Amino acid sequence: MSMREKVYDVFARKDRGDQLVHIGYVDAFDDDTAKVHAWTTYDEERWFEMCVVERTAIIPVNRQDGPFAKARREAHE
Amino acid sequence: MSDALDVGSLDRTQRDALRRLVLSLADSKRLMGIRYSDWLLGSPSIETGIATSSMAQDEWGHARLLYSMLKDLDIDPVPIEHDRASEEYASVAPLDEEMPDWAALVAAICLVDGAMTTMLESFAEGSFEPARGRVPKMLAEEEFHASLGSAWFKRLAGAGGDAHRLLGEATRAMIPDLLAWVGADDGPARAMVEAGVIGDADGRVVAFRDRVRALTALVDVDVDAVVPSEDWDPARARSPGHPSEEAVERARGDRNRALFVE
Repeated sequence: MSMREKVYDVFARKDRGDQLVHIGYVDAFDDDTAKVHAWTTYDEERWFEMCVVERTAIIPVNRQDGPFAKARREAHE
Repeated sequence: MSDALDVGSLDRTQRDALRRLVLSLADSKRLMGIRYSDWLLGSPSIETGIATSSMAQDEWGHARLLYSMLKDLDIDPVPIEHDRASEEYASVAPLDEEMPDWAALVAAICLVDGAMTTMLESFAEGSFEPARGRVPKMLAEEEFHASLGSAWFKRLAGAGGDAHRLLGEATRAMIPDLLAWVGADDGPARAMVEAGVIGDADGRVVAFRDRVRALTALVDVDVDAVVPSEDWDPARARSPGHPSEEAVERARGDRNRALFVE
């Protein structure tokens, strides 16, 4: 079993009507630890909603030179 | 859920039993916070260190709420929190000393924090009104602790080698004392069951074993076969011994004594 960690991007909104915005990222070795790391790392607000997504699951639309494209390239190598 | 307890109607024996129960939970929470705080630095990653920091704060918040329940028994919690000797602490035995390695802390997250959650679930469903009102929020926060602990336990158990060995050793060392604590069935414990403050000992033990069975099996520990510790200090509802002096100095806030704000 791998102990290697992955990057998860963190999205959150403060209130029900707010847009979900990217607030940062955490390293974690699975979805469960990513949720805990996100919740405890970005605890400066009382978030209405928080989500995490593994960076390799994000599909870049118009740029192939940023961290999201890099993560997907590395995942498929 | 049973009818609300009329604390004023309790006799001396029942009041002492309720005091013992609250102190056992509060002291365990406070020491659990200290054991988390030992790993703010030196955890496997920055995120994990932040998580242990957050959990330490959670545990101290829970401890403060539990100590404040003593007011319902006309007991001032301030000297309880700040003036007792280590020999008077009623925290569970596995928290007496600093965790020697990360695997032991992971075992403590799942087993010690898990045992406390089992007891608090029973407490929240009982007849003591302050527990009904305040404990559910603690249990909601504990879900994050359990999630982190469970993920790490599976990871270390599956890694094999020293990680698996150390996790197994810590698990085997902790469970007998925790089973004795969760399954306390002496006079004061039965008094609390009869007053509807907590569920019966058998039910609590079943709940604890159900909570940890799948995890402990990963390190070849059959929780159903583990025998509870027989050594028992009825005054404090725990195995004999006490937390380290260094931990109690931190729990009492000795270094900040001149700056207390209550």
